[in-house]
Amino acid sequence: MPDARRSLLSTSAHALAPLACVAIVHCALSGPAVAAAPAAAAEDGQWAMPAKDYAATRYSGLAVINAGNASALHPVWTFSTGVLGGHEGQPLVVGDTMYVVTPWPNVLYAFDLSKEGYPLRWKYRPDVSPNAIGVSCCDTINRGAFYAEGKVIYNLLDGHTVAVDAKSGRELWKTQVADVADGETVTMAPLVVKDRVIVGAAGGEFGIYGWLKGLDLASGRIVWTARNIGPDAGMLITPGQFKPPYEAGAEAGATSWAADSWKTGGAPVWGWTSYDPELDLIFYGSGNASPYNAEQRVGDNKWTNSVLARRPTDGALVWAYQFTPHDNWDYDATGAMVLADLTIGGKPTKALVHFDKNGFAYTLDRTTGRLISATKFVPANWAQSVDLATGRPVIDPAKQTGASKGNVKGICPSLEGGVSPASPPAYSPRTHLFYSSTNNICMDYAAVHTTRLKGTPFVGVNSPYMAGPGDGSLGTFMAWDATTGKKVWENKEPYPNWSGALVTGGDVAFYGTLDGWFKSVDARTGKVLSKFKVGSGVVGNPITYRGPEGKQYVAVYAGFGGDWALISGDTRSDDPADVRAPADFQKDIARHTSQGGIVWIFGL
Amino acid sequence: MRFNRHVTMCLLPAALLVACTQKAAPAGTAADAPQAAAAPPAIRYEAHVVAGGMSPPGAELRNPHEGDAAVAKSGALLFTAMNCDGCHGGDAAGWVGPNLGDGRWRYGGAPAEIFASIYYGRPKGMPAFGGALGPEGVWTLVTYLKSLPAPANEPTQSFEKP
Repeated sequence: MPDARRSLLSTSAHALAPLACVAIVHCALSGPAVAAAPAAAAEDGQWAMPAKDYAATRYSGLAVINAGNASALHPVWTFSTGVLGGHEGQPLVVGDTMYVVTPWPNVLYAFDLSKEGYPLRWKYRPDVSPNAIGVSCCDTINRGAFYAEGKVIYNLLDGHTVAVDAKSGRELWKTQVADVADGETVTMAPLVVKDRVIVGAAGGEFGIYGWLKGLDLASGRIVWTARNIGPDAGMLITPGQFKPPYEAGAEAGATSWAADSWKTGGAPVWGWTSYDPELDLIFYGSGNASPYNAEQRVGDNKWTNSVLARRPTDGALVWAYQFTPHDNWDYDATGAMVLADLTIGGKPTKALVHFDKNGFAYTLDRTTGRLISATKFVPANWAQSVDLATGRPVIDPAKQTGASKGNVKGICPSLEGGVSPASPPAYSPRTHLFYSSTNNICMDYAAVHTTRLKGTPFVGVNSPYMAGPGDGSLGTFMAWDATTGKKVWENKEPYPNWSGALVTGGDVAFYGTLDGWFKSVDARTGKVLSKFKVGSGVVGNPITYRGPEGKQYVAVYAGFGGDWALISGDTRSDDPADVRAPADFQKDIARHTSQGGIVWIFGL
Repeated sequence: MRFNRHVTMCLLPAALLVACTQKAAPAGTAADAPQAAAAPPAIRYEAHVVAGGMSPPGAELRNPHEGDAAVAKSGALLFTAMNCDGCHGGDAAGWVGPNLGDGRWRYGGAPAEIFASIYYGRPKGMPAFGGALGPEGVWTLVTYLKSLPAPANEPTQSFEKP
């Protein structure tokens, strides 16, 4: 066995051809699905954009690490980022450099992977206003950078987008895109399509007027601004070009709101974006409607809690579909929109697959936005089902909330979501399965009237959580078949699962847990192949890459935080003047983790 | 996000909140301003003066409502009406901003220190509410926060059963 392992570890470039053979043999043994074995030859071994590819699959064709040898994975390098906020997002690897963005104060590190110990080539420390901390709803997180044309591009918490020269670390441009004084912060990773840098702002808890912007890649100039809510003109809707799959009517972004409540209606953009070059459409989700007391904004509140498809060049809206009309539960739709070509009912389908906070997994036709299926992937009781003819959820009236309704009890999932949008899924074209973290948490929801004071929280709810149904497991990592809407396997975890997913050509999936384990599992069965305690809870997303010497590595951040740190009792140690009681449904998470950012690299 | 895992927040008709805000904050008036201006946010309490330093001259700021339960109740309403709970949590038990009911204070827990924190703001995101609330409104909040029953300062948390 050790000999066999050594041969797989072979590092010379010449060894790669035999390795490819090994991978093919492995596939051949694992069943007929091999026929679809993706173009391993096209795999460049890099990780240059947040989700690996425009389709947001978080799939890498690298196959040296496989179900047969993953048990030998062990840490080969670590680095303390020196920052304590939640380390969401993921590193990038381009050529022989790894790029790491920290939570506020948003330091960008560039590591030289060609030298022993991976010393820094440079680091970039922007001057980011601490005022942004006060308008960050849920920790000072950052979801990563995007590499394009020699530039590393990312967002600063205080509302700026920066482009940094990937070789020298010098700042090329810096553009203010958001206004902290109005409650906007920028936590998402940008998307670069052709010569556009696409960014949006968080602030659904501050009553922002949500938007997406397209910047010029060369100069950083803002070329277009598209609102997610409000009048057609602001949303970049032109008659004839905007074709929603279900009739919405003219000016729906304004007329589906009481009075002018859209002006402070939220619809932030803080999740992930994807792009289909053939359709020339970018896809992204909009967040919750503000405030959480839905009676202050009667109506569908379009296009909050929706997926929107736009042209990257001019931002024109082509279609939009609303997952949760008249959001009563803070069910942001900012989770990833994964693009996959699936065979559904024998028919090849250009699909968009989305795991929503509201507990339903959606499969849409991404050319039109029309719904193909919507199935619950966690216990959900706010709606019985989704009507495929109208696209609307079939709501349980007893779970409708609002200030006049008092404390509405036992709503599932909680407003943390059946999965957090911060935890993006992965899709393997080999297994044809999606891999995702889930949360099994429910909530009570007592809405109250609230007043917007610019730059302060605009929320209006008291919402305690409790464990969801079942045996006390608060989360899982699961494999999902989007063609049938069925779970194929799941690994139960004691705590909500908050990491993103990675799946590889070696049919290994990777994820981390809130209590600080990093695991590799067999992508076909879920069997745990390796696990390692990484020093802090994982809320980031694993990646894999081929190092300069030809070996395959897996990298992930440890660094407990995000929403979850805020309700986990005493998981912080940096402030002697702030101690918290543990949440009653997860009393002992602080026994297993504390804050602190660490970059980990694993190898065989 | 969520704001309170222990106790239900006061549910109030909007009109009452507004009334409370108005009552509690006649604030921002010209007559009030000089009093606040005379109280710089600088450290001015003996316990915090570093070696070689000295307390600045001038009268100590006093909470005109110290210990007044009725004012504390108004302060609780104001805490919600001004969205303080959005950051500091229901019952000030902590959210993205620190817990204000644990008896521990980043910038000092004396009434005048809490006044300065609210009136002038603090680094890392605490806005200055002096302009919106005026001294009367800020003292109302101070009175509420000081009325919260601070738990005993127990630095040990044991995870093992005895």
